[in-house]
Amino acid sequence: MIFFKVIRWIVWKDLLSELRSRENISSMFFFALIIILIFSLSLSMDQQMAREMIPGILWIAFSFTGIIGLGKSFLVETQNDCMENLLMAPIPKGAVYLGKLLGNFLFMLVVEIIIFPLFVIFFNLDIFGQIPMIMLICFLGTLGLSAMGTLLSAMTVQIKAREVMFPLMLLPLVVPVIIGAVEATAGALNGDPLKLYQQWLQLLAVFDLVFLIVSYWLFEFILED
Amino acid sequence: MKAIQCISISKAYRHYEVLKEISLEILSGECYALFGPNGAGKTTLLRILATVHRPTAGQFIMAGYDGVRDKIRVREAIFLIAHGSYLYDDLNAVENIRFALGLRGKNPSDRDIKLALDRVGIGAFSELKARYFSAGMKKRLSIAKSILIRPGILLMDEPYASLDEKGQQMVNNYLRELTESGSTIFMTTHDRARTSEVTHRVGVLTQGSLREIPAQHLKESHDIF
Repeated sequence: MIFFKVIRWIVWKDLLSELRSRENISSMFFFALIIILIFSLSLSMDQQMAREMIPGILWIAFSFTGIIGLGKSFLVETQNDCMENLLMAPIPKGAVYLGKLLGNFLFMLVVEIIIFPLFVIFFNLDIFGQIPMIMLICFLGTLGLSAMGTLLSAMTVQIKAREVMFPLMLLPLVVPVIIGAVEATAGALNGDPLKLYQQWLQLLAVFDLVFLIVSYWLFEFILED
Repeated sequence: MKAIQCISISKAYRHYEVLKEISLEILSGECYALFGPNGAGKTTLLRILATVHRPTAGQFIMAGYDGVRDKIRVREAIFLIAHGSYLYDDLNAVENIRFALGLRGKNPSDRDIKLALDRVGIGAFSELKARYFSAGMKKRLSIAKSILIRPGILLMDEPYASLDEKGQQMVNNYLRELTESGSTIFMTTHDRARTSEVTHRVGVLTQGSLREIPAQHLKESHDIF
């Protein structure tokens, strides 16, 4: 089916371009590394204090590295008028959105997979048993961030002040996702029973779904107009 | 059969009316060349036909489909070669072709891609990233895409620009072949000599109004504006 083929082609193109240039991944990685270093050097924490502060620091790093990557997501489409080519392609524009979203989601996940072990080492965390739950939270949180970020990246790509406008528009909208992810991560790191923090996972899942549906629906209007 | 039909198309940017009630019919297998001074609205008309812009008033029908209501059907039938090359700098020539055709649900063989690249004279650069291509090479790559797509209607914005003598001849050979096979060509251009070799009809756009002149006038020293 052409819809899924288009998604595949867009992910292929974005991954190949990134593999060649390494512009996004490297800037995201170094930014996250700087955040870890600053916090780990400036705060001397015991295990208990670390478990209270780490979720916030972790999602500051994930959110802001995500903003760097997401903000540049549609920049590649402005070279040689490629955005116009996407517009004129005889395809449902939702497929373009899902392709770009999937690419962004994968970039963010790759950076998170590299960064998270560094967090564990720098903050001396003992979280072996909680890894599957933290992976689920990262999946849901990253999906929410990238779902809304992909839409806003397309909206702001033609704006001159996009580097300022993009985070200003994105951050207020994804506050529920960040709060949900921080609270759920805190519960998981503390080893709390799931029922104590499952409402945050549900909140994440609901916002992911809402962001996906709204962004998918709005994307066609943004691209066409 | 009418391939392109414009019915009283107007286009205004704020209070400035670029196109004034343009009506035009082009039959299948015809090559129509549009001349006009800079700023006359040639590219605007071309981009309306390509479904990039919407007319302020009027209707246009491409390959039997309404240009506003049936955009996807129209986009399946047309191919635009514009000033922007629609190339991704970090992908090579073959990858750029694969992506562009993939968005149209086509998956050409390596042999077909090589033949198309050889035909436009850039077969030796198939593995070179597009960022290293000159403007002429980018134009040739766009023509290679068109060769593989075989559109029913080909829209071209200044097809001879950036091309050397051989390249311009190659374009004309390709255009002849297309019209002989029943495809329709609509081009905007300033090159009277080259255009006179292939075009069947000539339109002149001045101050937003279209009039048709005999194609023979291109070969003579008439001031067509």
